[in-house]
Amino acid sequence: MPVSKKIIKITQAIFPALLMVAGALLSGAVLIVIAGNDPIAAYKALLEGAFSNSYRISETFVKAIPLMLMAQGISIAFKNQIWNIGAGGQFTIGTILSVVVCLYFKLPPIPTIILSFIFAFIGGALWGGLAGWLKARFNANEVITTLMLDYIATFLLAYLVYGPMMDPNGFGYPQSAVIEKVLRLPKLIVGGRLHAGLFVAIAILLLMILFWRSTLGFKIELAGQGNDVSRYAGINNKKIIIVAMLLSGGLSGIAGWNEIHGIHFRLMTDLAGSYGSIAIVIALLGNLNPLGIAISAYFFSVLIVGGNTMQNLTGIPYSLVDIIQGLIVVFVITRTAFKAESIQSFFRKRRYQHNG
Amino acid sequence: MRNITKIFGHLKANDAVDFKLREKSIHGLLGENGAGKTTLMNVLYGLYRQEEGEIYIHGQKTDISSPLKAISSGIGMVHQHFMLARPLTVVENIMLGRKSSRGIFLDTKKVAAEIRELSDKYHLMVDPYARIWQLSVGEQQRVEILTTIYQGANILILDEPTAVLTPQEAETLFSILRQMRDDGKSMILITHKLEEILSVVDDVTILRDGKMINSLKVTPATTKEELSRLMVGRDVLFDFYPVAVKPGKERISMKNLSVRNDKDFSAVRNFSLSVAEGEIVGLAGVDGNGQKELAEALTGLRPAEGGLIFINGKEAVNKPPVFYINEGVAHIPEDRQSMGLAMGFCVSKNLVIKRFYQQPYAKNGLLNYKNIKDHAKKMIQDFQIKTNSTEDITRDLSGGNQQKVILARELADDPSVLIANQPTRGLDVGATEYVRSRLLEARSKGSAVLLISADIEEIIQLSDRIAVIYNGELMGVLPKGSQPEAIGLLMMGKRQGDNASVKENY
Repeated sequence: MPVSKKIIKITQAIFPALLMVAGALLSGAVLIVIAGNDPIAAYKALLEGAFSNSYRISETFVKAIPLMLMAQGISIAFKNQIWNIGAGGQFTIGTILSVVVCLYFKLPPIPTIILSFIFAFIGGALWGGLAGWLKARFNANEVITTLMLDYIATFLLAYLVYGPMMDPNGFGYPQSAVIEKVLRLPKLIVGGRLHAGLFVAIAILLLMILFWRSTLGFKIELAGQGNDVSRYAGINNKKIIIVAMLLSGGLSGIAGWNEIHGIHFRLMTDLAGSYGSIAIVIALLGNLNPLGIAISAYFFSVLIVGGNTMQNLTGIPYSLVDIIQGLIVVFVITRTAFKAESIQSFFRKRRYQHNG
Repeated sequence: MRNITKIFGHLKANDAVDFKLREKSIHGLLGENGAGKTTLMNVLYGLYRQEEGEIYIHGQKTDISSPLKAISSGIGMVHQHFMLARPLTVVENIMLGRKSSRGIFLDTKKVAAEIRELSDKYHLMVDPYARIWQLSVGEQQRVEILTTIYQGANILILDEPTAVLTPQEAETLFSILRQMRDDGKSMILITHKLEEILSVVDDVTILRDGKMINSLKVTPATTKEELSRLMVGRDVLFDFYPVAVKPGKERISMKNLSVRNDKDFSAVRNFSLSVAEGEIVGLAGVDGNGQKELAEALTGLRPAEGGLIFINGKEAVNKPPVFYINEGVAHIPEDRQSMGLAMGFCVSKNLVIKRFYQQPYAKNGLLNYKNIKDHAKKMIQDFQIKTNSTEDITRDLSGGNQQKVILARELADDPSVLIANQPTRGLDVGATEYVRSRLLEARSKGSAVLLISADIEEIIQLSDRIAVIYNGELMGVLPKGSQPEAIGLLMMGKRQGDNASVKENY
């Protein structure tokens, strides 16, 4: 394909996403004006909050890493038309198993880190795979099961940090003991929290690009095109559902591992926060494409990091970020309307009505 | 209708079309799929709004802005897909949406009497109190016709009315149409079947690519070749002369096969048939008599309740689809869009959905896009698939080209068995001719072809032997060269010498 054609194709692919983001930011601006504030000052504060010093810039990456990993995982399920909305729970199981390995497996540092990674992956995978198995075996709706498993994971974590895993020297705070310093991922910059997990994220990104070029990726995508056609093509749909959910959950488990070894170093209640739902938006905004997901994960982490500063500097509440996030969800759902062709045909229709 | 133009997006579906319907006549509207026949009639019926042009009824310029307006102007339409509420009775369906003479109460009795009168007048033979689901397809169609007459239609539009009928039912329909014409009504018959034009129609208008090509009176001198040339724009091959191939050994056989349908009713019963190398066995039957279930059972997509299947001599019953694929069983499914194709995939991917994990399309678990694309380029050329590139999304292709994608995929590796279920349904003349010639080619290359079709002519043209299915049972196997009437009788569940009328509803 000639280069110029390729550029056109890429632009066409990105255009709807850009339009959605622009639409969300513009609508957000209108809301700021209605609330009696200056939108330009607000967005300026938001950008400053994300980029004005090296600490903040490093924070944007710190937040983007788990979001991207979870969204990549979600994209595997979504391509298979399985609506895994429980990435937060799969993440939580990953964090729990990582800390369990680090605190209770008395092994040398390197094997511990590797084992922690494997356990986190398997834990997240089983948590997702369970929902996949329930769907394959009993046709249980995965939206319900993943959501419920999400709650179970959250309460399991709460039980552990209030009970058996509570730090004996922690003055009764609901948290586990911290993992040893040698088990933590090395920092990449002085005075920031950015850590070597970034390389893990980049490696996973590259693996995902490769994954969608693999026969397994093809099978998952084909199964997502409809039960009939994939069965017709000789694919065992039930098996593929389980495999897709195992991988999907596994990547969220790795995100949990990453947060334990890079940021928190211990278990606390509600470690996943709203990552699970933001990751869904990221996956959709990124059009389930690995690179698109990486870019939109970074965009969202800029919003999150900058949003906090904006609240402090301008008094505009952080909920603006939630609103923008919500608007993007709305736009993503009405995505077809943003495709270049539909806009063209919209204007053409208008013209005909005018003539007629 | 004068100078009608209707545009969808980039496409001029109708380009300055003139159309004139004489009173008391049956007018054929002939054209390939996508020629703009249905669009033109939808404009007349008020479903679409034309961009240009005027409509005159009895010399009066009429603005038809909605179907309601069309009905009040005396225009009625019988759609290809019936618009009937299945649980309701005939009279209830006809009363739907109309005012009752008894205010808020239904005047069922009065309407039923009127319906009976109309039904007798035109020999429609419809029982007003029968429920729609109890009626055969032919009867349902007559209910639709009755509805339009009851609404006072003088101009009837019939959209491919014979597509769902057996030859006998079609003949009944035609005699009804002739009677209605003699009674002063005018009818427009949308079709792409040339035989219909020659047998029942007074005038014919031919559309091609949205343009009116010609409008002429049908005389005994009018020939199929002449019409098809106008319709397609070139000469079309009607008669295939398949080279005689001596059938070899049995490639697929079924013994007492029984299959259930989605509703868990028995769909195929005790079915035994075999197809040999280099042979086309036609399986004729009206839709919904177990063909789909049979085809799915023969490809591993549906479990068999009982009986045996042998593929290349191997026991195959209830083996997974992969087994059949690996044994070289190709399948052209009836439902192209949800089973035969991944509509969201591009053409090149669709061409390998059964083989993507094999060399040369993949190696060590990774796809080789270059080889997949090269394969697609070759297939697009070999099978004359019209597409801008190998990366076009399959959903954007026309129906005929979508079918060619399936054909290319299924025939590419010279299958040992080919199960083709309604392979030419809905295709235009050109594509149909192409698909048929490919089926014959597969046969001469040694494939065992089971051609499942509701189109008797197709069955007769291509088959070496003709089997007929009715209500899930094999009605009989007829030799090559059997008469359509004989096949048609079996299709309706009537064995020769069997005088007892068989229940028409299934």
